[in-house]
Amino acid sequence: MPGEVITVVSKHDLIKGSSSSLLLSLLERQPMYGYQIVKELETRSQGYFKFKEGTLYPALHRLENAGLITGTWEMLPNGRQRRYYHITAKGQAQLSKEKLQWQDFLAAVKMILEPGVEPA
Amino acid sequence: MELTQYLERIRGGAKLGPSEEKGVMSELKAHIEDRVEELTGAGLSEQEALETCMGQMGNTKLIARQIYEAYSQGSWKQVLLASMPHLLFGLLFVLNWWHYPGWLSIVLVLILAATAYGWTRGKPTWLFPWLGYTLLPVLAAGIFLLYTPTGWSWLALAFYIPLALWWLFHIIVQTTRRDWLLSTLMLLPVPIITGWFLAISPSGKINEYSIQRLYYFAPWIGLSFLILAATIATFIRLRQRWLRVGLLAVSGLLTLTLVVYHSTGRLATPTFLGLMLVMWGVFLAPPLLERYLGRNRRTTA
Repeated sequence: MPGEVITVVSKHDLIKGSSSSLLLSLLERQPMYGYQIVKELETRSQGYFKFKEGTLYPALHRLENAGLITGTWEMLPNGRQRRYYHITAKGQAQLSKEKLQWQDFLAAVKMILEPGVEPA
Repeated sequence: MELTQYLERIRGGAKLGPSEEKGVMSELKAHIEDRVEELTGAGLSEQEALETCMGQMGNTKLIARQIYEAYSQGSWKQVLLASMPHLLFGLLFVLNWWHYPGWLSIVLVLILAATAYGWTRGKPTWLFPWLGYTLLPVLAAGIFLLYTPTGWSWLALAFYIPLALWWLFHIIVQTTRRDWLLSTLMLLPVPIITGWFLAISPSGKINEYSIQRLYYFAPWIGLSFLILAATIATFIRLRQRWLRVGLLAVSGLLTLTLVVYHSTGRLATPTFLGLMLVMWGVFLAPPLLERYLGRNRRTTA
């Protein structure tokens, strides 16, 4: 957003601030359960997004309480249960908005870091 | 640390309602089982895998706090439901309708109905302010017994007081098992009501003089209930626990000061100090009870 005041943030704060976009983005592709989300985040970011796994669930439940995702229990053939999270229509709309914000942000950062290169 | 102990610490700190608790704890347990299975598959012993997994999961206090904050904020509908009993009592006094038996009966029936509904529907947070007001009919019945013929009144009270105290203790223990803050929320009006009762009837007996004083104090009594309603509304919307504790403490003390200020000369300093002690009791007894119950649970486990 033009004219936005920014402060220097740590990697931890960057991850914390983008957690909802990351989770929604993963769930947009396919419904997933918590452990699967942790593994997927770690693999796709090549180890960059590695965090305390227990804190994933409060983040998922916040998104669920906000109506952005829904969770359903599914029984596995071995008798164990897993809670799969699905993105909702409200979550899709929120993700589209957040993606646009990220694109603007990345373009602005690129203009600073690589002054000679035109943003794509 | 054992897995059950690890999960119990999270469960104890998250202070969820029965409907949410089972799902959240099962999910965490399933996650740990998946991770332990993966780690043992990679060659670690069961114990090593469990310890590694708990390290990766994170600090129990942090997880519990984040879970609490994910669930603590109530909707606007819950705000309305939770502050309703205080609002009803506030309006009864502000509009001077407290002397109409019809209005009093409606409020009483509403309190009992809402409490019974909430109690049988998973005890949501909005129930606890209503639950506090169910103590009023119990107190009223006790006062009524004082006016039965001498001899009978003492006999009735001898049975009634232990029964009422047992019931009160049972309700407080049940509530504290879930979260001591809900007990405080439930008991918050007690010092306020006691303060106003002493202000209108210093001798403890209700007569013509106390009715006159009740008319005189009615707007201020109403205001103190409306402050409680605003406090509860804010409480329901807050996520952070420390903010909730601070809010109840500040609001309770401010309302008590209002009671004393508007009854100057009728509430002496020792009475004020007594009420402050009751207020401290309301704030300190539930966490102490929770500590005791938690220790007992660990010993029996």
